[in-house]
Amino acid sequence: MTSFNFKRVTFDAVVFSLLFVVALVVITKPDEEAMLMLGRNSLVFLGGCVLGALVSSLFAAWGIKTAGDVLFTPRHLNKLETAVPWYKTVWGWQMAVALGVTFAVAIVKTNFSIWELTDIDGFQGAMRLFKGIFNPNWEVLPAAVNNIIETIFMAFLATALAIPLAFVLSFLCAKNIMKGPVSFIVYTLLRTVLNVTRSVEALIWAIIFSVWVGIGPFAGMLALMIHSVASLAKQYSEMVETVSEGPIEGIQATGATKLQTIWFAVVPQIVLPYISFTVYRWDINVRMATIIGLVGGGGIGTMLIQYQGQAMWREVGCIIVVIAIVVWLMDAASAYIREALK
Amino acid sequence: MENILEVRGLDKTYPNGVRALKDVNFTVRKGEFLVVIGLSGSGKSTLLRCINRLHDPTAGEIIFEGQDIAPLQGEHIRRIRCNIGMIFQHFNLIPRHTVLSNVLMGSLGRLTSLRSIFGLFSEEDKKKALQYLELVGIADKAFIRADQLSGGQQQRVAIARALMQNPRLLLADEPVASLDPATCHTVMDYLKKVNEELGITIIANLHFLSLVRQYATRVIALKAGEVVYEGTPQDITDEWFQRIYGQGAKEVHIS
Repeated sequence: MTSFNFKRVTFDAVVFSLLFVVALVVITKPDEEAMLMLGRNSLVFLGGCVLGALVSSLFAAWGIKTAGDVLFTPRHLNKLETAVPWYKTVWGWQMAVALGVTFAVAIVKTNFSIWELTDIDGFQGAMRLFKGIFNPNWEVLPAAVNNIIETIFMAFLATALAIPLAFVLSFLCAKNIMKGPVSFIVYTLLRTVLNVTRSVEALIWAIIFSVWVGIGPFAGMLALMIHSVASLAKQYSEMVETVSEGPIEGIQATGATKLQTIWFAVVPQIVLPYISFTVYRWDINVRMATIIGLVGGGGIGTMLIQYQGQAMWREVGCIIVVIAIVVWLMDAASAYIREALK
Repeated sequence: MENILEVRGLDKTYPNGVRALKDVNFTVRKGEFLVVIGLSGSGKSTLLRCINRLHDPTAGEIIFEGQDIAPLQGEHIRRIRCNIGMIFQHFNLIPRHTVLSNVLMGSLGRLTSLRSIFGLFSEEDKKKALQYLELVGIADKAFIRADQLSGGQQQRVAIARALMQNPRLLLADEPVASLDPATCHTVMDYLKKVNEELGITIIANLHFLSLVRQYATRVIALKAGEVVYEGTPQDITDEWFQRIYGQGAKEVHIS
């Protein structure tokens, strides 16, 4: 089976199975216990997929286009009917029904309720909170300023420590540098490790490190650093992969070593985007450091969660003002620096 | 005169299956200005890149100064490259560096990685670099960024960078193909000067027959990866021209 055929069938099968499972749930109304039987439920979903694959193949045999066809069959093999409105095609209805059902399920799952949103008691509770926030208690300002300074430095150190690691990794994770069998294994291995590291959110790293080194800014800094290394290495290595080959050839031809070639032909091409990415990462890290503080990463976030827990909304208001100002300043400064570097 | 380079039975097949060179044989004598002609895709660039081992030949011998360099690997390739300069169609300078620093990069092969990364080029090297810039007539541009120069000037910087290696052989891959006709001659004249005054052997890929007649001491022609002509530029007749460039081809003159 060609790869696009496989993608087409898989896509159709999953869409079909989604509708199939939703229909089953609506008809049989399973109780809590039945919903928790993961093994059985997965089998039902897989069964739906198999059915869907059969249906998709049937449609293919009849020459009717499904959504999977439209998405994955290469253009040159795909004779799209021109000027047929979507509601006269199978794939159009397939997509419309799938989207509609997904939307309906989402509304049910999130307990979406206009009544709750317009309930007068609840609204007045929120108003008390807003009043506190818009009437900050400036007495906690000195503490808030000290804490946000901690947060900024936490973000700075995390970024600074991440730079050299990410710099070295970026070459080891660039396809055009890592040619040859051994290099390719190193490349694949590092890429996988970094992808996994990056898919674990900084917030979760902060939870891990707050257990490891104790609650506080150090844990938060480590969490941000790990996440920054993974993110920067990816962005950097993508820059390395887009450098032009000419200068590399030019330097190689002089009899330069691999290290010299990277330093003289690759590095000058990537320095500016590197700095730009790094400044942006610092900016992101300041925002993230605030969030990380919520789970014990130290800095302004920890202070925020403490006052929030005691429902001291006027103090929370003061902290929010400080965070807003600093994030706005960082955002403006990093945008300005990145613009200047172009 | 002795041979500086001898290519025997050279074959190159790319990983995608394209056979770019088929049993190529020729010799180059010391001090020659050999020009390789042929259509785009005839294997000229591949040939030059096999000689300094930017590409790995699939089979055959490349005897440079009596040593077969075709089977060499790693560090040994690097040592050989130090003796073979190369200039490119798109100059391949480092745009953000100054002209002088670009020329100094020609001496990288002699320096340890660590020394060069800290920019520790010797005063002697700097003096030499300036001399070579003088030779190609752009010493006054030494401290300007390379990307501020015109194409012809950049190619002259590239020549100076190659000379910095003290090469005994200079490869020129379409050195004037992206230059205007006037600049074209300036660059070719400097190559000729390098050839005649410094006695450096040159192998150049060229497109224009008029340039070939003017500068080459000997010519080989490639067609679909095979050598179809070897001789002096004066011997290229209309018949040969048709054979190399295909029926109905007309010679373009560049003045």
